[in-house]
Amino acid sequence: MITDLARMRVPSRKAPGKKPFPFHEELLELGEKGEVIVIPIKEENRPVEVECLDGRKKRIPTNKLWHHKSCGQCGNIPGYPASIMWFMNRFGLEYLDETNQTSCTAWNYHGSGTSNVLALAAVASRNFHRAYETGYYPLIHCGTSFGNYKEMRNLLVEHKELRDEVRKIMHKLGRELVLPEEIVHYSEWLHVMRHDIAKLRTQDVSQVVTTVHPACHTWKMIPEDYIYDTDVYGGRRPAPTTSVLLALGAQVADYSTWNDCCGFGFRHILTEREFSRSFAVNRKIKPMVEEAHSDVCVTQDTGCTTTLDKCQWIGRAHGMKYELPVMADVQFAALACGADPFKLVQLVWHTAEWRPLLEKMGIDWRKYEGEYKEYLEKLRSGAQPESLYELKVE
Amino acid sequence: MPDDKDREKHEIFEELRADPRYHDFVRGCLNCGVCTGWCPSHRFFDYAPRIVIQNCLAGEDRVYGMMGEYIWACAQCFSCAMVCPFNNNPGGVVAILREIAVRRGMMSAKRVLKPYSRVLLKVMTFGNQVSPDMIQPDFFPDWGPKIPWAQEDLELKRQAIPVPTLRTVESAWKVAESTMNELYTINKEAGIFDLVEVNDPGLAEVIEDDVQDKVAAYLAEEAKKE
Repeated sequence: MITDLARMRVPSRKAPGKKPFPFHEELLELGEKGEVIVIPIKEENRPVEVECLDGRKKRIPTNKLWHHKSCGQCGNIPGYPASIMWFMNRFGLEYLDETNQTSCTAWNYHGSGTSNVLALAAVASRNFHRAYETGYYPLIHCGTSFGNYKEMRNLLVEHKELRDEVRKIMHKLGRELVLPEEIVHYSEWLHVMRHDIAKLRTQDVSQVVTTVHPACHTWKMIPEDYIYDTDVYGGRRPAPTTSVLLALGAQVADYSTWNDCCGFGFRHILTEREFSRSFAVNRKIKPMVEEAHSDVCVTQDTGCTTTLDKCQWIGRAHGMKYELPVMADVQFAALACGADPFKLVQLVWHTAEWRPLLEKMGIDWRKYEGEYKEYLEKLRSGAQPESLYELKVE
Repeated sequence: MPDDKDREKHEIFEELRADPRYHDFVRGCLNCGVCTGWCPSHRFFDYAPRIVIQNCLAGEDRVYGMMGEYIWACAQCFSCAMVCPFNNNPGGVVAILREIAVRRGMMSAKRVLKPYSRVLLKVMTFGNQVSPDMIQPDFFPDWGPKIPWAQEDLELKRQAIPVPTLRTVESAWKVAESTMNELYTINKEAGIFDLVEVNDPGLAEVIEDDVQDKVAAYLAEEAKKE
């Protein structure tokens, strides 16, 4: 009976009691009226159609993308964005990473309350306008930026007063009020690219037991605007991340607290870490290890990767000696496809021990570590660093 | 005649209800407690999203009672909103109440913001919220022995990252001065500097000075180009 239920496919899905706001139609209508400039998804973006929670079709652009970077990823998980760009290079896709982007500032908002809707919406529109003027389509790396931008888009579409206020600020910047046709998270890009990624696989990951932590701000904020697929948990859970692991042939193990948050808490991770570390270890890491016998926790967002990785060590104070490596889906995928774990995936910044995982994946980390050390010495002697692209400076 | 506290209670309740998001966030409550069952903060704090909605429905006294530490316990994960059968958004209500607490310079906001000043400083002066040089061993001793390793030769290790925009230590990525200037304008126009001023005048002064210096340098550079 339970097995039947688990295997059951769900033909139509919806968040309980939710009546989704039809933002897409209304956004396009506002675009036609000239109320807002809509960044369209064009043929050159090579979109792939998927389904969202409520069955709505969403087109995910895969090419000519503007990297909207994440503060936490760039600040302390640099192999995260590097792995995204590495895959784009492997596929010969066009992208733009530049310095003309601000933070979405939503970490600050959710942590300290020291912002407001006007500022958040103006920052969103500012970054979208920048992407628009470059001709590239925005791809959002951070789960919190993704959730916040979806919320700001809905508010801007619903409230004329807010549009008018934001437009005034945009004009002071010499910009216009701009929103993209779809707000797209990198995990959605990874989902639609998963079969192409699987073709690049060089390592056998079939013996690797993964556990997935889906990020709250991707699937709980504006839940109707995220990908679900009947091939992933019968369409009952968000598809991205799990889908790429399955495509690579890894084992994805279930655990009882899959739907819990990580304990990041925005302000807690910085200033009240008793909560973050207790929650992360007791509610996430412990079940992943003890119930699922996981080899690696695979994430899809900035704060979760940081919290789940960095909070493990202190568990020793209570005799909880967990060493579960934590990394983003795209980092795991890059490792499975032969990326350098040091120079590219930059695992050196991760805290929980990851070397045994690499051994299980058949990766000779000692060789790469030696090369990394040599590389650092070369840089120290003045050598030019290796780059995924050439930075265009205005 | 209402005293100051009564007036404050009333004003806070009115400000909450005047927020354009409020009526989307508070729709009715069955007291089922599903939200609380999903709430991470409920497991460690005296906090429940069910109570947040119940208090909104009960009126200004109960809402006022949440303006201390209560609203700062929420982890802002929005699990509560995801599962509520009434479409309530307790986490969203908390976000509005935190905004109000900050705007009014309430004691709870000042207390919470004090250790948060480094993030505010970064976001308002560098255009992103966390930077490699913030992850210092003395600030994160509970993150274990690899943190000191990461800080050693930090600049060199950041140079070794294959993404050119990330080769910096003061900010998560290099933000162009023109872009920082735009963020400054947005924060100014949207009243964010005023919020900092109300809660931490010293920090506001540091931020304002730093940003003014950066803007002046940027404008001088632009003038040279012309």
